[in-house]
Amino acid sequence: MSGAPAAAGTPTTPAAPGITGVAYAFPALSRSVRELGELGQLQSPSDTLESLGFGQVHVATTESPYDLALCAARRLLHEHDVSPASVDLLIYGGLSGRAAFDAASTAPHAPAPMSRYSYPATRLQFDLGLANAMVWALDQQACTTLFGAVRLARAMCATEGMARVLCVSSEFTAADGAREAIFNCVSDAACAVLVDRDAARNRLRGAAHITKGYYWDADALRNEIIASYFPTARHAVYCALHNAGWRPDDVTWVIPHNVSLRSWQILLGLLALPNARLWSRNIARDGHTLAGDNFINLCDAMREGAIQPGDRLLLFSYGYGAHWTALALEA
Amino acid sequence: MHQHRPTVLVTGGTGLIGRAVIARMLRQDPAVHVAALVRRPARWHSLAATLGPLAARVVPIRGDITCDGLALGTGAQRWLRRRACTVIHLAADTTFTRTSEESRATNIDGTRHVLETANTWPGVEQLVHVSTAFVAGELNGLVAERDNGAGAGFVNPYEWSKYEAERLVRDSALPWVIVRPSTVACDTKAGGVTQLNALHFALRLCYQGLAALMPGAEDTPMDTVTTRYVARAIAAVAQRDDLAGQTLHLCAGMRSLPLGELLDRTFHIWATDDAWKRRGHVRPALSDLETYRLFASTVDELGDPVLTRVTHALAHFIPQLAFPKWFDTSRADETLGFRAPAVAEYWPRMVAHLVSRGWDHPCRLVA
Repeated sequence: MSGAPAAAGTPTTPAAPGITGVAYAFPALSRSVRELGELGQLQSPSDTLESLGFGQVHVATTESPYDLALCAARRLLHEHDVSPASVDLLIYGGLSGRAAFDAASTAPHAPAPMSRYSYPATRLQFDLGLANAMVWALDQQACTTLFGAVRLARAMCATEGMARVLCVSSEFTAADGAREAIFNCVSDAACAVLVDRDAARNRLRGAAHITKGYYWDADALRNEIIASYFPTARHAVYCALHNAGWRPDDVTWVIPHNVSLRSWQILLGLLALPNARLWSRNIARDGHTLAGDNFINLCDAMREGAIQPGDRLLLFSYGYGAHWTALALEA
Repeated sequence: MHQHRPTVLVTGGTGLIGRAVIARMLRQDPAVHVAALVRRPARWHSLAATLGPLAARVVPIRGDITCDGLALGTGAQRWLRRRACTVIHLAADTTFTRTSEESRATNIDGTRHVLETANTWPGVEQLVHVSTAFVAGELNGLVAERDNGAGAGFVNPYEWSKYEAERLVRDSALPWVIVRPSTVACDTKAGGVTQLNALHFALRLCYQGLAALMPGAEDTPMDTVTTRYVARAIAAVAQRDDLAGQTLHLCAGMRSLPLGELLDRTFHIWATDDAWKRRGHVRPALSDLETYRLFASTVDELGDPVLTRVTHALAHFIPQLAFPKWFDTSRADETLGFRAPAVAEYWPRMVAHLVSRGWDHPCRLVA
């Protein structure tokens, strides 16, 4: 398992709600795209997926989604020296019920009746010692869960005066199941994001979320989803940037969700942004985690020093269901 | 000059524009007689049925422009030699997906055969060659009627083959007039559509939510015309004897609509249907050509059968939108004394018509 915090920096404008910490956790095992192909876990040829920018994915075996969620959250609290008592709200997204606690390789198909009330969100509050935190869970947001959680956190800071919100997401696919979702290689991971009301870094300047229920059946409407992806993505990005008062060219870095590099090149073309502004290193290294690619990438980009205080960051993600979401952050 | 009744030979007379041209000529001048070169008898029967009593002044002549001498029989050759005073060359293969060789066979070699054959008929006083505005190919900006597209590339073999055909016409000894219609959107200003073409196919993909990207910009001019306007213009040109050596744009010109506005209007009309509106389909994203080609090649590479079919079908004409151009119509407007209707006049009705007919194409006559 690995992970790192987002670095602190010097504020350039008055404080506002923002992301003050990110940590993540991956399972111990990684598999190359080629190995996945040999195991029959891909629909497309492995060389096709490699040409789209994928190298390997993280595959849970002995770990449970909860294990990784707890690991990521603990790491965040530790590395940012966050007192558990200072957290006002915990927002959890990911598998619920007993499925969250079973090791990926042993998950039962039919959980016991009362297990539906064995919630990972509340257990996380207990295990982390978040004594003052109320607990919510977000569901059915797919890859946009953490975006929704961060926006809820900002709203609670703004409207109810909360000072600190911890957002945690953990998503797995079945250990032996398909590892490809429409030409994207899928990883298991958990990610924790800390939102502070008075943030010195990564202040939330703009946001947009577009939901199109018509596309709820991802299997049946696969072609329509692919066709609608780009124009709607551009619209969501424009809305978030407009919300922030920025133009596309103001964006210093695009922090992506780790879908195919090719699809990002197309979207960047639509935004008239050069490919060099895409922080794309993790697409090959981590694949597409349902839990929170953009925030994992934000964490790594900051740790590498790619992001400077004041940089304008664009985060965009798409979640089946169907959701297009974007955030504008001032680093 | 003619010992026999002067006759207008029309190639492509059984096609969308050809039918309308023949009907208009017959209606506007009771003295006109037409010889229609037909490759398949069934097509003549269809034309005759739509012309009704007017068909009495039309003589079907079996022939094929892809063959030397138009594959005319000796009798037909002799008959035309005595009577042909005007040739309207409309026959063309307008399928954008044809290979260069296939396009050459009909559009270049076919035109050569028409020119060579007509050149042996002493009474021919005018050849009206129906070309396309898109011989301009990949030119940008204002395209004058004197511009011949030389030096620009072409989006598809159709554009190239029509450009080459124009060159043959210009080099011929016959008194020629070239007319260049732009894309036919519908029959008349009422918006009815007799024959679906690539434009309607692209619109259908938008309607179905399957069009992701389109090359072009918000202000890219979309030049379309009606069948009635084009037929009226060709029939008018055929009656004139003072236009030799002229090229006329049969286009909307400055009465085009910008692509962005055209798409907005289209989606606005479709959105009046609540069931369609609820799907939340969005306009295709307009992009530069490089991004569009990256998208199309990616779809191709990934091999999804439906999307591959979509991008392949669009690939043969939609890149034309990446070369924004205005067609100057000042010479045509002045010569003809009438202009093409503004696209905005009929576009909404055309779009509504397509949906109401379930994207079907009824067969009817426009004149």
